[in-house]
Amino acid sequence: MGLIDHRFDDNVITTNLDAVLNWARQSSLWPISFGLACCAIEMMAAGGPRFDIARFGAEVFRASPRQADLMIVAGTVTKKIAPVLKRLYDQMPEPKWVISMGSCANAGGPFPTYSVVQGVDKIIPVDVYICGCPPRPEALLYGLMQLQDKIRKEGTVFRRERVIRVGQTEPVLIGTRG
Amino acid sequence: MRNWLRKVFLIDLVKGLWLTLTYTPQPAFTFQYPAERRPTSPRFRGVLRLQVDPATGAQVCIVCDQCAKACPDHLIQLGGHREPGQKVRVLDYFDFNLSRCSFCGLCAEACPTKPFKALIMSEDYELGMYGREGQILRIDQMYDGVPIKSYTH
Repeated sequence: MGLIDHRFDDNVITTNLDAVLNWARQSSLWPISFGLACCAIEMMAAGGPRFDIARFGAEVFRASPRQADLMIVAGTVTKKIAPVLKRLYDQMPEPKWVISMGSCANAGGPFPTYSVVQGVDKIIPVDVYICGCPPRPEALLYGLMQLQDKIRKEGTVFRRERVIRVGQTEPVLIGTRG
Repeated sequence: MRNWLRKVFLIDLVKGLWLTLTYTPQPAFTFQYPAERRPTSPRFRGVLRLQVDPATGAQVCIVCDQCAKACPDHLIQLGGHREPGQKVRVLDYFDFNLSRCSFCGLCAEACPTKPFKALIMSEDYELGMYGREGQILRIDQMYDGVPIKSYTH
């Protein structure tokens, strides 16, 4: 999408194209299997037949980050695994999203110690935080649906970003290509 | 002749897949989550809620600070003031940091009010937020509950 990113203003073609792209992206989120600790067990339970995550399009937990677009950080992020996590996140191609699952990934959990990173958002940007210790599989599916809502609002072809510049009051449309 | 019959009617395939084929017409085991929500057990530890007296709407919490002292991660901060002439304190603020909570239940266990506790663990577990600010619950959300979006149409 590099050539057509954020180039066009609102019209019926670009909004519909955006709607189709967003629908495709939200309905086939492929997670990378990054289960670190106890939350990984609940993630596995969500992948099992009782709470099927395949109903939401996320059935293939890709082993390689180059083939995935969603990273569910499930478990405690220690300082030992942190560079590995950053490397895997960098290897994922755009567009990519991150779900932080559980209190250890949100904010370090009950471990304010020297070896635990206090929240995975100190290393990578997080889209949805799911609270729980561990969150139930239904809670993971709820967080996944929140992420799908967020993806539905994105604008790829249609320039949706508006900012208010310093000293002015009216928002102006901007895009990454100016 | 027997070989030919075996190939046409796929006898070997049916024999190998017999167990799978017996499971195929049975109803699916999957819980259709947004449409059906599994009932939680009576002692389920969900997100914290503050209770009010259901008959009068009066405050039940006595601002004793026991829940804040019991929390192993110091996630609760509360305070109140005392009106002149009254014995019971009025709860002013109750800040609860949901991001680190391990849902251990020690705070709800420590709450001393009777006949029902002021601080309980409710049945809500759908907690998905877009940012860190949404994970600090203030007193309104403690009384009313975290707003949960319903995905069933």
